[in-house]
Amino acid sequence: MTVLRPSGSQRREATSTGRERGSAVRTTRSAISLSYVVLLVGVAIALVPFLYVVSTSMKETTSLFSYPPDWIPSPIYWGNFESLFADHPFVRWTLNTLFVAGTVTGLKLWFDSMAGYALAKMEFSGKRGVALLFLLSVAIPISALIIPLFFVVRYLGLLNTYWALILPPLANPLGIFMARSFIVHIPEDLESSARLDGASEFTIYRKIVLPLIRPGLVVLGMFTFMLQYTSFIWPLIAVQDSERQVIAVGISGLHSAFLQDWGLLSAAMLLAAIPITVVFLLIQKAFVINDLSGALKE
Amino acid sequence: MPALLPPADVAVSLIQVAKSYGDVEVLQPFDLQVAEGEFVVLLGPSGCGKSTILKMIAGLEEASHGEIHVAGALVNYVRPRDRNVAMVFQNYALYPHLTVRENIAFPLTMRRRPRLKRSVVNERTVAAAEIVDLAPYLDRKPAQLSGGQRQRVALARAIVRQPAAFLMDEPLSNLDALLRADMRTSLLDVHSRIKKATLYVTHDQVEAMTMADRVVVLNDGLIQQIGKPDELFNAPANTFVAQFIGSPRMPLHTIAVDDGMLVFGGASLAIEASVRLEPGAVITVGLRPSALRVTDAAKACFVGTVTRRYYLGSDSYLEVELDTGPAVMVRAEADTPLGAGDSVYVAAGPGAIHLFDETGTRLCGAWVRPLAR
Repeated sequence: MTVLRPSGSQRREATSTGRERGSAVRTTRSAISLSYVVLLVGVAIALVPFLYVVSTSMKETTSLFSYPPDWIPSPIYWGNFESLFADHPFVRWTLNTLFVAGTVTGLKLWFDSMAGYALAKMEFSGKRGVALLFLLSVAIPISALIIPLFFVVRYLGLLNTYWALILPPLANPLGIFMARSFIVHIPEDLESSARLDGASEFTIYRKIVLPLIRPGLVVLGMFTFMLQYTSFIWPLIAVQDSERQVIAVGISGLHSAFLQDWGLLSAAMLLAAIPITVVFLLIQKAFVINDLSGALKE
Repeated sequence: MPALLPPADVAVSLIQVAKSYGDVEVLQPFDLQVAEGEFVVLLGPSGCGKSTILKMIAGLEEASHGEIHVAGALVNYVRPRDRNVAMVFQNYALYPHLTVRENIAFPLTMRRRPRLKRSVVNERTVAAAEIVDLAPYLDRKPAQLSGGQRQRVALARAIVRQPAAFLMDEPLSNLDALLRADMRTSLLDVHSRIKKATLYVTHDQVEAMTMADRVVVLNDGLIQQIGKPDELFNAPANTFVAQFIGSPRMPLHTIAVDDGMLVFGGASLAIEASVRLEPGAVITVGLRPSALRVTDAAKACFVGTVTRRYYLGSDSYLEVELDTGPAVMVRAEADTPLGAGDSVYVAAGPGAIHLFDETGTRLCGAWVRPLAR
């Protein structure tokens, strides 16, 4: 059997290639290590305040300021949670917020997608003017709108009602532009085909367009829901009745002018984060499913 | 003035139909009638207005002028869904979130009066899928199918409606050459089974010539010629059709009528007695490459030198610089030993020479006597 031995130059070449590979591996390893360090710092920055809130919610206020701080409460104190449910309408605030945020999200997705469809796919006189008007209204800061909005809502007799919380956010046209941008990319032949197949304009919107822009609507829905869930300024102005109040305003009312009950506040914040986390986890599935389907070449 | 009503056996009739966008006229007024079961191909380069014709028939575009009749009914002001036509789009236009079954059944589920029973919808869906050999794929999504299968789903969705006419807008242009040839056969097979009037848009002359009963050649929004494929090839109405139909492309050369004689490449051309040529008139001569052959000295019409050879597998084409004239393309055997620099004798067979007037309109065919040597 003949054994082929590498020549000197071949050996040199192989060695230099090996050296290069080794250096590339080292570079990759150090890059990965560095990225881990950066990520760990990032995770710590994000998690430490949250863990502090968790810890604080299970401590009595008197033991909050001990030094060094006790990260793990001993014994665990449930009094903050008990007080939250017994002395304050916390469940009511949560339900109010979920109701308002859910209703606004549902209605906004419906209206915005329909308006987006009209702007993206339909021809009507004044279309450009309407689009321009929407665009201009996006540019107006919300703080500039609050006082006129208050007078409008008061004039309509809607102060202290759920309508006061639900109707104004529906007029925000940002979602219309987002929906329009999702819809405008759907090939025209799909609608033409559906139109020839006998579908009405509304059927095209409902059965063809809506399923195709679902990933975009999930993003828009999540964005709207979070915005409403954490909404503070407008509910503070529009609703004074504690029974109709939303969670962000309710929690802010737990502050006292003389004594800050940080344990109670932490417990409230911790519990308030649960519904939104659950909603996000549920919707996350839709994100993943649609990401994969979008990745496939049609 | 009301136009003539189309005859009963005409599935689609376009009478003086025109289309313009503002001042821009994209289709000049034209008439076209498609008989029941006929396969008519609209052929032309991109932007010539062929897809616009389909869209006007489908109701997706409004005709600026003229009347459109489908199955004898005037449909100009009828909604697309009520026009009784089905359209197959270039990019399939399948609903990606629905299965093949749901895609095919979509037009039936959309039907309002009378609403079809679920069993009928299912029966007709399966029948349409079977016609295009898609029955095993009914529960798949379009993304799980190949390009050819997707196009067949689009075809089945059109078939299931049982329309008066099919409109196909370049349905095979997204497929690779091999699949396109297969799909061409499948389409013709389906057409021969369902025998419905079909208007088929393409820019591929091979597709047009192999599939059509009649071809409508368009250019710049104007119908250039309507005829059977052999008519277009053998008697092109103008220089555009002459050059658009046939491969390799027909070269055109201009010559002047001299003393009542037409001389091209050193040979005298004979024409029909009925055609009168004015002295000094400029005539365009087109020479169909496939009808020019390499021959021996005895049968030669022209003499020239090969400047380039194109090998096509079944044939070879030679670019020949005539000794007393311009260059022509000449058909030769695939394995011809001739190459650049070789002298050749060229014979012109029937249908080789076409004459056009100064506007490019066809005058007649011409013959050339073999050179006396």
